[in-house]
Amino acid sequence: MLMIAGVIVAVILFGIGLLGMIFRRDLIIKLLSLGLVNGSVMLCLVSLGSRANGIAPIIRGPENANYVNPLPQALVLSAIVINFAILALALVFVMLLVEHYHSTDSQRIEHEIKREREL
Amino acid sequence: MRYRRIGLIVYATILVCCFCGLVIAFFSYQEPTRELGAIYLSRAPSETGAANIVSAIYLNYRLYDTLFEILIFSVAVLGVRFYLSDYREKEIVEKIPESQIVRTSADLFFPPIFLIGIYLTLSGHLSPGGGFSGGVVAGTALLLCAVALGANTVGKRFHEPTLRWLEWGVLLVVLSLPLLPIVVGRLPFTALLPPGTMGKVISGGSIPIDNLLIGIRVFIGTWVIIHYFMRHRGEV
Repeated sequence: MLMIAGVIVAVILFGIGLLGMIFRRDLIIKLLSLGLVNGSVMLCLVSLGSRANGIAPIIRGPENANYVNPLPQALVLSAIVINFAILALALVFVMLLVEHYHSTDSQRIEHEIKREREL
Repeated sequence: MRYRRIGLIVYATILVCCFCGLVIAFFSYQEPTRELGAIYLSRAPSETGAANIVSAIYLNYRLYDTLFEILIFSVAVLGVRFYLSDYREKEIVEKIPESQIVRTSADLFFPPIFLIGIYLTLSGHLSPGGGFSGGVVAGTALLLCAVALGANTVGKRFHEPTLRWLEWGVLLVVLSLPLLPIVVGRLPFTALLPPGTMGKVISGGSIPIDNLLIGIRVFIGTWVIIHYFMRHRGEV
């Protein structure tokens, strides 16, 4: 049950993030939507590894306790770090664009680039 | 033109909604009978000596993944450094007068947050934590300091060339540590140290060493990102 709920929430968040990336014109909000999509994928992976009444895979007591699957969690850990690094790098590119065009509006930046090419 | 845009928006919304609905409607997942996670759970405590199975997986069984992950992190930090150090210094934004609340809370909370970061880094093989989360927590403590005192004041306390040497030296050690078993005549990526008894502070083979090195690397990387972002957008 927990798994199904996690996957449904993850898919809804994925949809919201995808729509945000397509329709919002502000570059920073686009990046935040990308983060939302990333988070939804992590949620989906972790909930696929979940079990009913499962506990975290840290061995403290009995051998055969109901531990959740540790493999998706280890993979999601890599995804979190890479998400952080890529978000930082993407924000640097947004900073460079803002420095040049004085706007975070993607359509306005596109318009300015077109005008520069015509000149 | 305007109607065309509205039509496109409606069309894309319907497409995304259909996709999400189809995924939810036809979602089915059967737990495999011979689960890989169960194999890790039964074998990892005796083979690696780590109580935290997640860190046993990403620092022992799948160390190769983690090495490239730390490499990607380093390349991203290098990118931030490269694109922002060449960047013209902004005209100095007027500094916001120091707030007593922020200053006092920074004084109060900096030591505990930093200590929690070190604890998380060193106990990654026993409890939730590890190099990545511990490094980021310790970096966040520095962010609090930079908010209270200004990024340049905090930045002056670090010797920049030493920081750079440490950053890349630690990366080199992290990348070459798995090759060390060759010296003793074993295959690379095999265990260098004995696993020890599970649950003790000194156990888990080379997992604590890896955690410590990754923690230092992530801490410096986080600080570099924070420092460069603050320096080029004016003081907080």
